Amino acid sequence: MRRTFLTLAVLYGMMLVGVFYWQLCADLAHHPANPRYYLVFQRERGSILDRQGRVLAHSASFEDGYQRRYAAESLSPVVGYFHERYGLTGLERLYQGELSAGRSLLTTLDLELQKKAAELLQGSAGAVVALRPESGEVLALVSLPCLDGNAMDENWPDYLADLRSPFLNRATHGLYPPGSVVKPIVYAAAVAEGAAQAGETWLDQGLIQLPGGAVRNYGAKAHGEITLDQALAYSSNVVFAELAAELGPTVLDYFRRFGLGEPPDFELGGHQGSVPEATLSTYHAAQLGIGQGELLVTPLQMAQVAAALANGGVLMRPFVVQEVRGGWRLRQITRPTVLGELVPWTVAEQVKRAMVLAAQEGTARTKFSEQFSYAGKTGTAQLGSVPDHSWFIGFAPPQAPQIAVAVVVEHGGTGAEAAAPIGVELMFQAVQMSE
Amino acid sequence: MGLLGRTWFEFTGWLAAVLLWLFFLQGQVNWWQPAVLWALFLLLYLVTRGCGAHPGALPFVAVLVFCGWIFLTRLDPSLGQGHFYGALLGSAFYLFGLFLPAPRLRFSRLWAWGAVVLLGLTALWGETVGGAKAWLTVCGLRFQPVELAKVFLVLYLGKGISQGRPLWELLSFVGSFLLLSAWQRDLGPAVLVFLVFSWLVLQHSFAWYKLLGLAGILLAGFWGAVQLFSHVQSRVLAWLAPWEYLDSKGYQVVQGLFALRAGGLVGQGLGQGLVHVIPQGHTDYIFAILGEELGFFGLCAVLLCYFSLAFWAVRLLQDLAGAEQLTGLGLTLLLHGQVFLVVGGILRLLPFSGMTLPFVSYGSTSLTVQFWMLGLMAGLSRGGGAERCAEPS
Repeated sequence: MRRTFLTLAVLYGMMLVGVFYWQLCADLAHHPANPRYYLVFQRERGSILDRQGRVLAHSASFEDGYQRRYAAESLSPVVGYFHERYGLTGLERLYQGELSAGRSLLTTLDLELQKKAAELLQGSAGAVVALRPESGEVLALVSLPCLDGNAMDENWPDYLADLRSPFLNRATHGLYPPGSVVKPIVYAAAVAEGAAQAGETWLDQGLIQLPGGAVRNYGAKAHGEITLDQALAYSSNVVFAELAAELGPTVLDYFRRFGLGEPPDFELGGHQGSVPEATLSTYHAAQLGIGQGELLVTPLQMAQVAAALANGGVLMRPFVVQEVRGGWRLRQITRPTVLGELVPWTVAEQVKRAMVLAAQEGTARTKFSEQFSYAGKTGTAQLGSVPDHSWFIGFAPPQAPQIAVAVVVEHGGTGAEAAAPIGVELMFQAVQMSE
Repeated sequence: MGLLGRTWFEFTGWLAAVLLWLFFLQGQVNWWQPAVLWALFLLLYLVTRGCGAHPGALPFVAVLVFCGWIFLTRLDPSLGQGHFYGALLGSAFYLFGLFLPAPRLRFSRLWAWGAVVLLGLTALWGETVGGAKAWLTVCGLRFQPVELAKVFLVLYLGKGISQGRPLWELLSFVGSFLLLSAWQRDLGPAVLVFLVFSWLVLQHSFAWYKLLGLAGILLAGFWGAVQLFSHVQSRVLAWLAPWEYLDSKGYQVVQGLFALRAGGLVGQGLGQGLVHVIPQGHTDYIFAILGEELGFFGLCAVLLCYFSLAFWAVRLLQDLAGAEQLTGLGLTLLLHGQVFLVVGGILRLLPFSGMTLPFVSYGSTSLTVQFWMLGLMAGLSRGGGAERCAEPS
């Protein structure tokens, strides 16, 4: 009987070990065949709120469970969507643990600005990113065309057939040649490195011959004798090509310092774009200095450039979620973080002055120039056979910037035609709202 | 307060907690069923003690039966009802086993013939439910004869082996049982009975050639079954590589493992598990459902209940000798072998053989026969061996 008992004890011991392994050690919770995974789609989850507590996403109770509803279609590139069949993206995915535990997210987004940006861009493909320069808070992040988190089932076949790729988040992952919107960086580099002095004038004859090729102004227009500020305001390719040619590889260092060609430190991620390793010739450097050549940037990166210039040369880390609250755990608060001082304050102030001039009388002038003061820079990314991409970066008000924006309109033509009116009207609305 | 009082005090507290849960969370449940079962188990306990048998197994069985009742009610109240009536019928069988000491009866070969005839009748006139031709209807009463037949066979084997019956006679009865089970495509009981038979033979007189011969027969039988039967092949594949057959052969195994993992340390809580995705969740796979809702602690408690039954049985058997001891050992092994085959199958320790978890799973025939076996065991403790098993005073 002793042996029998020992054998039975061993058998029960084996069962106990088996139960221990399968209940506590096996890695099965996230197995795709585990039906428990899909339960999250029927349960109530926390809300996502904008900076003023307006609801961006919530779980609406439905026949047998809950369904996620979103305040605006344009939110999907940032808030994401949450769907039983199509999965989860954006903040819904990043904060899945917190949201499914019933906690809610207080974001830095402003629903009114987000809607306004989407409305202004409506009809085109492109992106708008608006940041708060002093903190790095993301006020709006729009990428069109985008998915509608409220109507995934109905629209899914259209999304798949859409050649403009609505799945791409253009704001963080769209790669565009920047054109003239990089000129503020070249300006800052030239001033910081002593390649140009204030008050110095340049002769712009509409064309400059460099070893390796010639650089022409847009429309081959000659601006005559101009200051550096005027060169930025009128977007003189000749002057900036000359500056970049003089700076040589240093101009690439400044591009990288401003975050171009570097992976962004942003919770939603983003493409790093591309900046060449080295300048191959004087002509190559000159081309890069006016935003042509192998440069590729994302709207988020350009918004960071605008925000850094607005913030006296100090770049803040961009963030979307300022607080995770609710549930039984403590609130989790994101504090603004300095990513680096890119250029001295005096240099940033000089660039700002030139961008204000551009807004008053240069290429960035719009119908709003009379109504409020802002700083801006347009860009036209020349593509050759198809219409150019239209760029705008800017911030307002210049003295104490509350908003910095970057706008790209695919095939929108020149910067002044398409992107600048959108960016400026958005900044105007933001300034109006804060008053 | 002696052991009796303490056991029942604790058990009543446990039952009261369950009843509170039923009252406050699940108002629609038949609250009187657990109350009747509680009274019934108390009655069985008193009767068992009164007639000089050892009642120590009853509290553990009561816990297991209640666990089964709660989970079956939670799955489907009509299943819980079935379990309740099964337990009522089982109590009658328990008393029958307690007072009619079958292992002491003289005509042991009759049991063997009974087992073979029952299976033969099933093979001829049985009904097929769920792939196995395992049901027989007699006088409007439908039951699974194999459950009864395996106890009959063990009653014969206990006596037959201890009396030194010729090996060919034992082997031919066991062999016909195995063949008839195979004919019905129901191999779980066949494996169980063969294991019990081997153990009893070796327990009676150990010899290496017997051990090797029986192991050889087992392996050959296993190999033959894999070659012959496609459902055995499926079970083996589902055991070895369930992840490659996620939505076919391996579905049940994999879903059982998911359920166990979802349980974790303390479980999802009663009524909180995703129980309806597991095929045969109320019979073969109830252990996985328990695991999901009660967690590791809960399954430890359930395994501890079974282990306590084993402890009780072994202590009882130590005081017996000869045919009684061997029969009692056979009945004990029949119970715990089934637990190991079922739980081990769910835990992928061996291929799943598709049997009920004793006292917990739905299945009136199985439950009734388990009660009868328990009654027989308790009956063996009457008379000769009762003194040493009785509670210390």
